[in-house]
Amino acid sequence: MTTEADRLTVVTTASPTRKRVISIVSHALLIIASILMLYPLLWLLAASFRPENEIFTSGISVLPSINWNLESYVRGWNGLRVSFGQLFLNSFIISGLSVIGNVLACSLAAYAFARLEFAGRRFWFAMMLMTLMLPYQVTLIPQYVLFLNLGWVNTFLPLVVPKFLAADAFFIFLMVQFFRGIPRELDEAARMDGAGPWRIYWKIILPLSTPVLATAAIFTFIWTWDDFFGPLIYLSDLRQYTVMLGLRTFVDSTGMSDYGGMFAMSVLALVPIFAFFLFFQRLLIEGIATTGMKR
Amino acid sequence: MATQVDTSNTTPTGVAAPSYWRGVWDNHAPGYLFLLPWFIGFFGLTIGPILTSLYLSFTHFDLLTAPRWAGVENYVRMFTNDPKFAASMRVTFIFVIFSVPLKLAFALGVALLLNRGMRGLPIYRALFYLPSLLGASVAIAILWRQIFAGNGLVNQVLANFGIIGPSWISNPNTSLWTLIILAIWQFGSPMIIFLAGLRQIPQDMYEAASLDGAGKWRQFWKITLPMLTPVVFFNAIIQTIEAFKSFTPSFIISGGTGGPINSTLFYTLYLYNEAFGFFRMGYASALAWVLLIIVAAFTAFSFLTSKFWVHYDD
Amino acid sequence: MTLQIGRRQFLMGTSALAAAGALGIIPTFAQSAGLRQFFWGGQARADRTYGVNDLFKAAKGVDVDSSFLGWGDYWPKLATETAGGNAPDIVQMDYRYIVEYAKRGAIAPLDEYVGGALKLDGFDEDQLEGGKVDGKLYGISLGANSVAQLVNVTAFEEAGIELPNRDTTYDDIRAMGEAFLSKNIRGGMRVIADGSGSEPMLDNWLRQKGLALYTADGKLGFDADAAIEWFTMWNQMRADKICVDAETQALDTNGPLETTMVVLGKAAMMPSNSNQLVAFQSLMTDTATITNYPRIAPGVGGGHYRKPSMFFSIGGSSANKELAAEYLSFFINDLEAGKVLGVERGIPCIPAVRDAILPTLNEQDQIALNFVANLGDLLGPLPPPPPAAAGEIDISLLRTLSQEVAFGARSPEDAGQYFVNEAAAILARQA
Repeated sequence: MTTEADRLTVVTTASPTRKRVISIVSHALLIIASILMLYPLLWLLAASFRPENEIFTSGISVLPSINWNLESYVRGWNGLRVSFGQLFLNSFIISGLSVIGNVLACSLAAYAFARLEFAGRRFWFAMMLMTLMLPYQVTLIPQYVLFLNLGWVNTFLPLVVPKFLAADAFFIFLMVQFFRGIPRELDEAARMDGAGPWRIYWKIILPLSTPVLATAAIFTFIWTWDDFFGPLIYLSDLRQYTVMLGLRTFVDSTGMSDYGGMFAMSVLALVPIFAFFLFFQRLLIEGIATTGMKR
Repeated sequence: MATQVDTSNTTPTGVAAPSYWRGVWDNHAPGYLFLLPWFIGFFGLTIGPILTSLYLSFTHFDLLTAPRWAGVENYVRMFTNDPKFAASMRVTFIFVIFSVPLKLAFALGVALLLNRGMRGLPIYRALFYLPSLLGASVAIAILWRQIFAGNGLVNQVLANFGIIGPSWISNPNTSLWTLIILAIWQFGSPMIIFLAGLRQIPQDMYEAASLDGAGKWRQFWKITLPMLTPVVFFNAIIQTIEAFKSFTPSFIISGGTGGPINSTLFYTLYLYNEAFGFFRMGYASALAWVLLIIVAAFTAFSFLTSKFWVHYDD
Repeated sequence: MTLQIGRRQFLMGTSALAAAGALGIIPTFAQSAGLRQFFWGGQARADRTYGVNDLFKAAKGVDVDSSFLGWGDYWPKLATETAGGNAPDIVQMDYRYIVEYAKRGAIAPLDEYVGGALKLDGFDEDQLEGGKVDGKLYGISLGANSVAQLVNVTAFEEAGIELPNRDTTYDDIRAMGEAFLSKNIRGGMRVIADGSGSEPMLDNWLRQKGLALYTADGKLGFDADAAIEWFTMWNQMRADKICVDAETQALDTNGPLETTMVVLGKAAMMPSNSNQLVAFQSLMTDTATITNYPRIAPGVGGGHYRKPSMFFSIGGSSANKELAAEYLSFFINDLEAGKVLGVERGIPCIPAVRDAILPTLNEQDQIALNFVANLGDLLGPLPPPPPAAAGEIDISLLRTLSQEVAFGARSPEDAGQYFVNEAAAILARQA
């Protein structure tokens, strides 16, 4: 397995000083950019430690208040009748199952579109893409009625089952693009050895697709974690709420809101997705060691 | 590799022998079997609501009572008597035209930079993805206001150069740009996809090229870019579709109003307000289908022209 | 380092997840012997409501399965559930939407339960009227509130200007504004927010003139001249820097409290509601209070009215209407319940309950209560329920026009004329 260092390079003919200047400049740019990326998180962090009535009077400052305290965290965690621990668990379940469903189902569909010939392939591919184009606001009600008739309202099922049925055309399309980049010679070689489509899929395509599968896993987890609209419509019992949905109940534009609690719980909600990302991104960089057979 | 129908299997009367059907099954079945989960989902969960929404676009539906047939009234109104339709179209198009290319440029640029392998790479990669993690939360809305309001961070910085900026976020001439910047700032997702794509380019190609004496630029143009085109294509299509459907940034920053003076009225926000704010789901469905047709036309065009610049290995 | 997930670990992990997920598969709402309730609000309101539900359970043995969301999320979800035929038994309803929901049968008429399951003895007449559509009772008011100006007391003290009081007129506001300008505190704080896009403020101003926003038969209650006068008045105030400028006012996105002028520190007063004092105070380090909307001239009153802040209604397709009516009755009559609820939803409509809770209120709540109870000559008759298009006219038309005038994209004369024409068109379309 090649490591990061091996990937480092492409031989250049630039002089050492030029390389150093480029390096310094790029690092400087990266640092400035990083601050831009990090700033909102720092603000969020600072706000979560402020007393409620200082949150909006401290402007853009990311420095902690002199009255900083952990009240927001305590209040936020216990604020709802159900402890946030339960909400985190719900979010984990939904997002975890979604990842498994998406990776399995979308890779199956993508393999069919990318590698197999069958009548109507182009037509179904176009249909698949079309499902991406309609805004969800107008399919919301018919879908709700559908799930209501199935008896799935007030459960996790409307949120998870579609993932096992490859409803996320985004990932099918993504994987199709990646699968098409895997050399056909490998398929041919396997076919020579008598492998059928399933074996090619399972033994060749999938193992060589770790970057895109990892990407799909990361995105699925983060997007389902962050999604509040699905849970909003389909979950009514507070004990089933996800973290994001729970956060939304902290802020009500007509009356008292708990901004401090919301910020505090937002910070905590970032931890799992950030962790998931860090954990899986190693799969992204691991790339595949093909033997480089290129025409 | 089109499937050839093997006619050597027909009987004298021209009827296909069982082995013909066997051939058909063997050739087409795997595709359909692999697609089975998707078919179940498509026919079971997806197509019904989609067709229902098409039907609804020809009705007046106030959500609280049954839909009433309205023929093409909704479409007529949209094109002849609805200034907000035109306004939201304009806003959305501007958003798409500016945010998508810039977002992709940043994503690709940073991905290339990060792909060179450097100290602290994982940290930088995570940092650049962070804005996308924050998603569209109330916190972002509050923060964006703090940065772009009259006395916000941006204007404080500009004041050092003697420039008095407007209240970027609440001035109708500039408010859309704060949303474009928000979209670009969250370039993490396409960046990750570019990174994955870069990772899939075999390293030995670069080694072979440099052995042949090719410099870095040549390698970029001749190896990286062409091998990356499938991913570029994907990102371009997806980001454009998503940009057309963009809802949450405007929803949280304008409070769902699309203001000031409809300057941030994204098309789907307009649609959402029509559906749930004013109980005109029929009209909203019509709006959605018009959007779908526009997006589908654009996508079809992209696919047709893609053969000129996208290199697949098959 | 490759990530190794052995097949066994994968299977174990997946089955663990699936097992955990099974918990989420069984619907958890109460059996049909109970009631389903849905309301908007924050955690504070939820705590109080759950408290009452516990009391109800202790008294009648009925489970109330309750959920809540913020205002912005509440309506799409309610509409979705109603469209699907799955509306809750007890629904919190707003003045703005009650006509729409009532006319479509999405909420049930309550008249048949009055006197029986639903006891309304001593209920304020005007609050009762507020819940009627076409003569039938559709919603029980959960509390009265009134429009009010939110005032930043500390800012006034800092500027050394006297606080507005019951007799303050628009001209007085001008004078205060000029004083504020010269004192120039806090980076140019103005005395008042731009109220040209505030429907309650327009309503109040019209009523003082003897006009109205809408007539009983759902038409516009004023003409272009009044509209032009309204926009011109605010245009002048903007030009003279009495109220905040266009860009600043546009920061208020008509929803989140943290975007409002007083919280942002841009103005010392702004239009609000009496029951929001507590909410605003919690976001500010300065002291806040409420006062009435300005009079158009000394001695002219009648602009205010005691509005039902929100209602409870019964879902049109509910199978438990009688039981729900009992719940409603308990909610508004029971003294212990009243103490739990306080004035969070508004001032209770039954005098006995008001008296019972008075000793338990905190300072801001008492200010709000006293304000609503003592409006005096500022009080006018309750207007008819607004037509269904009122929401659209407010959000799409009034707000946008006020912003256009503020940014100079339209003249006040043009705006006034356009407003009246377009509003009439919207009203006609809805009819």
